[in-house]
Amino acid sequence: MLAVCVCRCTQCPLEGVDSTSASVLSRCFTRISPVSAILAALCREGHREAETRVPRCCRNLVLHPSDMLSRLVFVSASALKSSGPIGAGVVHASRCLHTSSQSLAPVPPLPEKGGKVRHGIIPEELFQLLYPKTGVTGPYMLGAGLLLYMLSKEIYVINHETFAAASIGAVIIYGVKKFGPSVGAFADKLNEEKVAKAQEVKDVAMSSLTQAIDDEKKEQWRVEGRAMLFDAKRNNVAMLLETNYRERLHMVTNDVKRRLDYQIALQDLNHRLEQEHMINWVEKSVISSITPQQEKESIAKCITDLKALAKATQAKATA
Amino acid sequence: MAGRRVALKAIDWVAFAERVPPNQRGMFNALKTRSDGISAKLASLPEKPVAIDWNFYRSAVAKAGMVDEFEKKFKALQIPEPTDTQTSNINAQEAEANKSAQAYIEGSKARIAEYEEKLAKFKNMIPFDQMTIEDLNSVFPETKLDKVKHPYWPHKPIAEL
Repeated sequence: MLAVCVCRCTQCPLEGVDSTSASVLSRCFTRISPVSAILAALCREGHREAETRVPRCCRNLVLHPSDMLSRLVFVSASALKSSGPIGAGVVHASRCLHTSSQSLAPVPPLPEKGGKVRHGIIPEELFQLLYPKTGVTGPYMLGAGLLLYMLSKEIYVINHETFAAASIGAVIIYGVKKFGPSVGAFADKLNEEKVAKAQEVKDVAMSSLTQAIDDEKKEQWRVEGRAMLFDAKRNNVAMLLETNYRERLHMVTNDVKRRLDYQIALQDLNHRLEQEHMINWVEKSVISSITPQQEKESIAKCITDLKALAKATQAKATA
Repeated sequence: MAGRRVALKAIDWVAFAERVPPNQRGMFNALKTRSDGISAKLASLPEKPVAIDWNFYRSAVAKAGMVDEFEKKFKALQIPEPTDTQTSNINAQEAEANKSAQAYIEGSKARIAEYEEKLAKFKNMIPFDQMTIEDLNSVFPETKLDKVKHPYWPHKPIAEL
């Protein structure tokens, strides 16, 4: 009954829909069913730029949506925004199509994350593909329509297996959602350890090689000093020779000197001996020449001298 | 007296000590102490011997002519220099050492070239994040799994896992 166009701040205005066809479409949808009409006509215009291009009749048909439907719009719009850059035909750069026969070398690394998916299974590319024609809710409508078709035409028959599949699906989804990140982190850690081990091997190898190169260079520098050893040896030899020569000189001089000194000492000894001998001989002869007569006379004289001396000293003492 | 007093080359013991590798330090210390002992002994001896005062002796010694004879003989005396038997040995040793040093340096250079090559290989390796297993096997051949010898997974003896 009411065709509703909600002005949302989405980026891409509807392309290829001019004013007349938009009005025709909206009127068509009103005849089919209210719900589908509302869902189909959501989220068309809304950008400031887009507003200028919005056909006049669509703007005239803007009316307030019901609350539940607006919440659906919010959800789909936010999901659309959160899924990444919106642009028709955006593909990850590393997944290039092999347009030319040249191959890249080195092989470009694998992308960090896999392709974006909505609700865990459906790739984002489908939504991007359908966005220009059917907007945000297009793929959902497609999915719902397909499901309804398969159920109503009994292409897929509901039986016991359906409930089994549903239960198993639920359990699997719960398990993955709960334990997925931790298992992923564990696997990543294993991988990290392997890479870290290999990196360590590489680092140790590189450092040991640089160390070995430095050591070799140092050893070469050391070898260059070998001349000093032989200089030292030759110096030692020269010093020894010189020392020996000087010792010889000194020895000769000292020996000559010693001999001359010996001669002098010998002379002195002879001289001294002669002197002493002479003195002794003279004394002996003098003593032997003293006769007993002379001895008595000399003793008497000594006594009289002594007496005189004694008198002299006595006189001196009393005086 | 030619040939005497070959100029002693000044040796920088500090620089010499730097070049000695640690395992030969004992030998170096022994050499240094020996050299120092020899040079100390040399320094303790005066260069010229004490001159003999002939006139004093001439007046002192009574024997005629003895001093003159001594003097004449003394002045005519030529003290032979000690012969140098070792320098040629040392020169021969030095030549040999030079040869072996050359050989060692050649070997060292070859080793350095080897190390540089290996280092270049490591430096030019792609980072591990971007490697495939084939790349890893080409860089580290020991990681290649021998699928002929061990045809079943894990392609290596269980003990090596």
